[in-house]
Amino acid sequence: MLSRVADHIYWLARYLERADYTARVLDVNSQMVLDMSGYLEADAAEAWLPIIEVSGGRESFLRIYKDVNESNSTQFMLFDSDNPDSIRQSIASARENARAVRDQISSEMWEQINRFHLRLKGDTYESFLRIGPSEYLNRVKSSIHLFYGIADSMMPRSQGWEFFNLGRFLERANNLSRLIDVKCISLLPAGKPEGSAVDLIQWAALLRSCWAFEAFRKNRQGRITGKRVLDYLILDEFFPKSIRFSVTEAESALRQISDSHDHHFKDPAGRALGRLRAELDYAEINDLIETDIHAFLLRLQSDIANISSLIDHTFISYPVEEARMA
Amino acid sequence: MRTPARSDLFSHYSLDGFYDEMFAAPGDPRPHYRKLHSRLETMDSLTLAEKQTLADQAFLRRGVTFTVYEQGEGTERIFPFDSLPRIIPAEEWARLETGLAQRMEALNLFLADIYGEQRIVKEGVVPAEVIRTSKHFRPEMMGVKLPRGLHVHINGCDLIRDGEGNYRVLEDNLRCPSGVSYVLENRQTLKRVFPNLIRDYNVRSIEQYCQDLLNTLLHLAPEHVPEPTVVLLTPGIYNSAYFEHVFLARQMGIEIVQGSDLTVRDDRVFMRTTRGLAQVHVIYRRIDDDFLDPEVFRKDSLLGVPGLFEACRKGNAALCNPIGTGVADDKAVYAYVPAIIKFYLDQEPLISNVETYLSSEPKQMALIMERLPELVVKSVNEAGGYGMLVGPHAAKAEIEVFREKIKANPRNFIAQPTIQLSRCPTVCGDRIEGRHVDFRPYVLNGESVRIMPGGLTRVALRKGSLVVNSSQGGGSKDTWVLGKTTADSESISENRIIL
Repeated sequence: MLSRVADHIYWLARYLERADYTARVLDVNSQMVLDMSGYLEADAAEAWLPIIEVSGGRESFLRIYKDVNESNSTQFMLFDSDNPDSIRQSIASARENARAVRDQISSEMWEQINRFHLRLKGDTYESFLRIGPSEYLNRVKSSIHLFYGIADSMMPRSQGWEFFNLGRFLERANNLSRLIDVKCISLLPAGKPEGSAVDLIQWAALLRSCWAFEAFRKNRQGRITGKRVLDYLILDEFFPKSIRFSVTEAESALRQISDSHDHHFKDPAGRALGRLRAELDYAEINDLIETDIHAFLLRLQSDIANISSLIDHTFISYPVEEARMA
Repeated sequence: MRTPARSDLFSHYSLDGFYDEMFAAPGDPRPHYRKLHSRLETMDSLTLAEKQTLADQAFLRRGVTFTVYEQGEGTERIFPFDSLPRIIPAEEWARLETGLAQRMEALNLFLADIYGEQRIVKEGVVPAEVIRTSKHFRPEMMGVKLPRGLHVHINGCDLIRDGEGNYRVLEDNLRCPSGVSYVLENRQTLKRVFPNLIRDYNVRSIEQYCQDLLNTLLHLAPEHVPEPTVVLLTPGIYNSAYFEHVFLARQMGIEIVQGSDLTVRDDRVFMRTTRGLAQVHVIYRRIDDDFLDPEVFRKDSLLGVPGLFEACRKGNAALCNPIGTGVADDKAVYAYVPAIIKFYLDQEPLISNVETYLSSEPKQMALIMERLPELVVKSVNEAGGYGMLVGPHAAKAEIEVFREKIKANPRNFIAQPTIQLSRCPTVCGDRIEGRHVDFRPYVLNGESVRIMPGGLTRVALRKGSLVVNSSQGGGSKDTWVLGKTTADSESISENRIIL
């Protein structure tokens, strides 16, 4: 497969996953502020700053808006063209990547992303309010899931599919670690007695942001506590929205791409990803919390950034002089 | 039961003295248009509008678009489509076909000669000056051997019909002629809009084109390569014809690449794949000569591939069309094509040129100066209607400006009598009116010359307009070439697929 085509498919998947994640985080936060009404004004900066932190960033937000409140945060994360992580921008980027490989993806995939992009382009904050946050974000998520469904049923299981999965799961692992990190900062060292009502609401919100609430309840019958939630979201082997699961899936996609069928990766990208996966396989949640979970999550993010650039160097923009013959 | 009323779709139709594709005289359709005419006669404006909507929706859904640039932002537009076909009867097509093949053969010999011995110059048929000063003449190509001795592989030859209905060549397009994807999409659409009419009419299929194009490309591969790799080289997704590039690559099942995907090593061309470098043998390029190789042509080109020219010169890769074909579609060289045909083939041209005066020839210059207000003046290197004077429509001052320009740089201009394009019935709101059309068939030159039975009919949708360019209110029509027998019809070839 052409390197450029692989690159576009990889980024198509990353941007889609990013939009999906932003929609989810925004949706859960809008609902959480309602649950927290006894403790926190729905429009309070504290209610919205954390999610700005995980999508777009506080700095770029404050360059555009003065006040951190519900409407500014929502506009920033949904429609803002100066926020490259906003849903509209992510989908526009996904669509640009899809357009560049229109001959490689099925017409159904192209038409779905194109239709979705055109609709988002026409929407405004007013139309968002008219439809209602929950319903609107649901439509966003459904449109993305429809794309995933079409991709799953139409894409040949060759290199394109593997690059699609590689991008999707690396992006997911990265997003999860950012989200968990922000929540840990605001929740863990607060000195509040564990298991307070506020805690419970916030840990439950974190689970919901990761699509994990129902799965957690089913799989880990019992109380919602910080440690148990973190164990599930970081280290669970079977839950598709855990970091460990995502890294494992990314590794298996990369193994297909580089034809490394046993555990011996020949390329640096594979070795780095394999190391990360092994570390997650053998990690223990108590150790992580006792040492420094923030540092752990930060390193995980830099590992993923490093793996992404190694993938680029190995398969996409490798120096011609070192290239082998296909 | 409702008896179909005689429709008033044609109530405002007038011929205005132009050659009309459908009508020999007011209310009197030519034989090959009679079926379409009687179908339209029993159709009310509502049904016609439905047919047109059906066609428009099909284009919208499939995203058949071109890009228009306004204020730095590209917008994708639908290429307007008119649902009434242009029809060419079998005998008329047979004459066109031989004429187009003759022209292709002569132009190929001309290019081989120009980049070889230049016999035609030495014998004084084409002045050396005309060749030397042609913007698209590439001295780098002198003496370069090309695969199978083919110097041009595709000509999108623009034809018009004069006041008597005679076909004439308006210009050749020997570099990267575009538009064929619309021809194929138009047919797909009309199959849905007028399925019965297409069957009744015995319309010839154009399905074969992409296979013929692929065969033409494969024919250029080095002979010792058992499974050559063919790619389409595009300037990228922002190019106005990107839709067409994707369409053709997909139809032929070849990779679509950008300059950055290709690299040259040891004078061989490779594409970068996720598994390393893979050799490329034939490149269907949709990039102009100037941008192909920054080592040889424009140094600032980011679209091209450094070293590509040398790889082709050594015979390790082939380009379609080859470099330097543009010398033969130069508007001044165009005036010599009848002489070129005579020189190489010893034949009279079967399709005439439009009468053309060269301001570089003293005698013709005098004539141009005398008759300037009634002539059309074109700049030899421009396309798409730029740098043009339409004498009868121009202000006196504008004519004088051109007079000075021509005197200052005679090589840069040609002049032609104002030509009247033929008109064809076209849907205009809720009725049918005549609109001017031209015609671009696609001529392939591989193992033999092959011409798709059809082509791009462009129509100037604005009343009275002669400009058929898509950027200036032009649209297109399906073109039906009729079969002599049922053996080569669209319906039969479809049956074959079903069987």
